[in-house]
Amino acid sequence: MRRSKDIKDDEIRIITASPTKKHNRLWIWPALITAVAGASICMLMLSRDKGVVEERAEMVFEPEVTIESAPELKWLGSYADTVKSYTEHLRDTINDIPLDIYIPHNAIPELMLGVPDIHDKSIVFTTQAADIRADNGKIVGAFVLKGKPLSWGLSKKGYCAIIDGKLTVGVADNSPLFEEATEKEGYFFRQYPLVAQNILVENEPKGKSIRKALCDRGGEIMVVMSQTPESFHDFSQALIDFKVNNAIYLVGSSSFGYFRDYYDQLEIIYNKFRYGYQYENFIVWKVPSQI
Amino acid sequence: MPTHLVISKGTELLRVPLVSLMYVSAEGNYSVVVTRDSHRTLMSMQLGQIETLISEQLGSSGSIFIRAGRGLIINTDYINYIDISQQVLVLSDCEGSRHELTASREVLIKLKEYVESTVKK
Repeated sequence: MRRSKDIKDDEIRIITASPTKKHNRLWIWPALITAVAGASICMLMLSRDKGVVEERAEMVFEPEVTIESAPELKWLGSYADTVKSYTEHLRDTINDIPLDIYIPHNAIPELMLGVPDIHDKSIVFTTQAADIRADNGKIVGAFVLKGKPLSWGLSKKGYCAIIDGKLTVGVADNSPLFEEATEKEGYFFRQYPLVAQNILVENEPKGKSIRKALCDRGGEIMVVMSQTPESFHDFSQALIDFKVNNAIYLVGSSSFGYFRDYYDQLEIIYNKFRYGYQYENFIVWKVPSQI
Repeated sequence: MPTHLVISKGTELLRVPLVSLMYVSAEGNYSVVVTRDSHRTLMSMQLGQIETLISEQLGSSGSIFIRAGRGLIINTDYINYIDISQQVLVLSDCEGSRHELTASREVLIKLKEYVESTVKK
């Protein structure tokens, strides 16, 4: 789909058949029309060759219309099976960073407290979501569990909201989706922002680690994990080069997670537990019929 | 003359009568379509894409809609109150549907000028 021209936060634009029209630049169009008409008349008068005149006139009055359309980003996953709930596991290497890509299919995301049971066959993918503080075991940043706020505050600007089963990844100081999550029995948590509207977001923590991100790539939701220890910056840059539009961090390193593939085979991503925290939380994708 | 806006992407389709569409706000890579019944529908489409749809489907009828900054498309028929100092924009049908939005001062100044200019015509 063709994208409209960028607009700044301090501009308004009346939406007409020309999406690039700006309220404060209305004078441009009459000026352009006048200029084009003037140029046409000049060309017609200057050209003494009838054939050339006809050619020019045709060029002016019947221009070839070329519609530029930005190529749609092709989704990575396979969507042939619209019924079975499973996780598709892909691999790719971006900027020499090997990546694991997990795409849950036909499953509904939600948050849960406590470590998910690997025998729970209703779960097709899970990984840790929001950070918890080591000193008091509480969740860092705002957190909503099935409509119930368990934590408040803005320590990280990235957020994930799940409302009516739809997952949104974004970056904002204040998001109305927090309130909406509380009103609609939804879910909400905050994490480090990695990519905001295709732009890399720098983060304070230095050093290298296995990195994990919840990503929106052209509307396709996926979890992307580095196979090698990477800095925040390099991992975020790889996500951008991977055409991810928005991404937030997920508890990384060797944090616990698992998934079930198309053949119901259980694959444990990492088996490291951090028992003892009351608010240890996970994002899970579940089989719709078993919620 | 078109009477509805149809937003269709992937497995979703939303069809909204123009008179019911109050505003659309950006939410990350998504857009929230808000109608007079205060229902909010989250669509997996960026606000710029919704703007393009409006211009393509509605043509000159789309001119009742204004893109206000990066985060909003509003139906100008429902502009009810502007307070530049408080950065408040209220959209209302004065029949029970009222939405208080926040916008930048520059946007509100331009919106106010726009509404005033339509009165003077």
